[in-house]
Amino acid sequence: MNKLLISTLLASAMAFPAAAETLRVGVATAQTGALAPFDTPVIDGIHIAVDEINQAGGIDGKIKIELLEKDVRSDAAQTSIATQELVDEGVSVIVLPCDADPALAAIGVVTEAQIPAISTCASSPTLPQIGGDYMFANFPGDNVQATVSAKWAYDEGHRSAYIIYSPDTQYTTMPLYFAEVFEKLGGKMLGEDTHTIGQQDFSAIATRIAALDPQPDVIMTSTYEPDFPSMLKALRAAGVESQMIGSDGIDSPTTFSLGAVAEGLVFTTAGHPTEGSPLEAFNKKFEEVNGKAPETVFNAVGYDLIKVIEAAVIAADGSTDAQTLRDAIANLENVQGATSMITYKGTDGMPLREVSLIRVKDGGRELIGQPTPDAALIPEPRVQ
Amino acid sequence: MDLFLQQTVNAFALGGTYALLALGLAMVFSTMGLINFAHGELMTIAGYILMACGLAGVPFAFSILLAIAAAVLAAIVMERIAFRPVRNASGATMLVTSFAVSMILQVLFQNFISARSQAVFVPEILSESVRFGGLVIGVNKIAAIVTTIVMLILLDRFMKHHRIGIAMRAAAEDFSVARLMGIRANTVIAGAFALSGFLAGVAAVLWVSQRASVDPLMGFTPVLKAFIAAILGGLGSLRGAVAGGFLLGFIEIYLAAYLPAGMQEFRDPIALCLVVLVLIFRPNGLIPSPALKAEKV
Repeated sequence: MNKLLISTLLASAMAFPAAAETLRVGVATAQTGALAPFDTPVIDGIHIAVDEINQAGGIDGKIKIELLEKDVRSDAAQTSIATQELVDEGVSVIVLPCDADPALAAIGVVTEAQIPAISTCASSPTLPQIGGDYMFANFPGDNVQATVSAKWAYDEGHRSAYIIYSPDTQYTTMPLYFAEVFEKLGGKMLGEDTHTIGQQDFSAIATRIAALDPQPDVIMTSTYEPDFPSMLKALRAAGVESQMIGSDGIDSPTTFSLGAVAEGLVFTTAGHPTEGSPLEAFNKKFEEVNGKAPETVFNAVGYDLIKVIEAAVIAADGSTDAQTLRDAIANLENVQGATSMITYKGTDGMPLREVSLIRVKDGGRELIGQPTPDAALIPEPRVQ
Repeated sequence: MDLFLQQTVNAFALGGTYALLALGLAMVFSTMGLINFAHGELMTIAGYILMACGLAGVPFAFSILLAIAAAVLAAIVMERIAFRPVRNASGATMLVTSFAVSMILQVLFQNFISARSQAVFVPEILSESVRFGGLVIGVNKIAAIVTTIVMLILLDRFMKHHRIGIAMRAAAEDFSVARLMGIRANTVIAGAFALSGFLAGVAAVLWVSQRASVDPLMGFTPVLKAFIAAILGGLGSLRGAVAGGFLLGFIEIYLAAYLPAGMQEFRDPIALCLVVLVLIFRPNGLIPSPALKAEKV
């Protein structure tokens, strides 16, 4: 018995330095359910980054990344359970689902275990605020996106606006930030409407807006598919001709295949593959690996997430200790991701990164610009 | 006044779609006492066929036929594989089976097609609108209203004059007596499923052409609305399902149109309260099924 004990102790003592050569990254994301459309492309990007790093010998040439993946089925309770399992398996960093609500469900576990957690693509600025020191986001904040689009609309000479939002999630309340910035700039809000996520029919709202005299110059919404196409078609069919502005949720092939109704639509997203940009290089790589071009920028967002973790490990001198990594992430500056430069230093966990303004032209993307918004204009994060 | 008329047209179009959906649910419920929650997935299947046809360049009119045929086929297969073995089990068992079928299909769509919404090619004409005096009516609204009316007339004739239709009505009244009269249970139930698949296919075309996309979870909302409409109309009663569908459409559109802005967030709960209110006064629904023996205690 003693022999067994000693040999076990010896074995574990020997295994310990070897374990430090691997960084265990826990991935608790939605591979099925309502959030899967966003989490699955992010995971594809994560795999590309991890394979790339591991093939090159690991982070800094020596630390391999090991992914431990669990499907949380877009369910808050399941996210919390999966996170606890990952903590028990000894991971150093945890990746959480795209939306703020399931990500927050895991925050008790993450804080208790003192392990840093990054949401794949939640953009609500309240997520790290509520989530505390261990919660990080990986996408331009809703308030920043809304500032960029409101400023653009105002600069284009639009003076009146209307918003359509859904109080169902934090993300879909982004138009409230838009209204705040638009009014601060001197624009006039003509009204607002709310809808439910999954609502089929937008004709009542469309009829009401069509009856306004004069019609709003701009209509802003952060509704995403499948509701967005339905809303857009209803508005156009009712005769509303206002400039439509959306957000990253509609950065998807569906939007570009809507035909005439989507022409001229403007939205904010995480990046654009300009010539010679890292995103263009990433898209090429994605095509090599998967045999088809990426459908959405969320692939690159996943790549960025691993780049952030890699940079944090390097900044922490190769440490895989969770607490050290948390501090390292919080102090990262100008990490080059596929979509943009990413900075966490000086923020509360919501990264500073570029926002791209895209216009739909001839069923394709046209880059309007990648402006950095004036910090004074950006509204304070708030829980709606 | 124009605004009111305009919203009424909207209500007719939405109510018509709900009526078709509720009718599909009621069709199956009236013959075998099953609320088929996988009805929505029949719509999703039709939606994916529309998507595939669009990609393959099949003309839209022809792809509509293929989509409806696929929904009918899927409904028959569903009955054969999943529901026939539990036909004599309790209502609860059948309900759980239908949930299981629905979830299995959703996961299959997610894993084998895509978790993301897929674009569906819809002819530009359906996004356009026509002016009648002061009214602006979308072509897809007109299509929805006309389709609903045609479907309801066809169905009414089928149920009244066709042999299987008559058998289905008999089975809905009293299945055991109908069997004693020599009506085959398998034929009637398979017929009910095929018809419900047909209705799901038609509703799917209307639903999908409005949103120009199809996603794995698309079936949930319509089946929920259909369920509410069927209860509202009187579960198991076909005319009731139609009435319930229209009433639900009217309630939703008028609330969205006339509730004050501050109250809009509570639109859905208010709509459901109105449904409950109707049920308090008519506990068996608007047009109760003669087979339903529920009593107010």
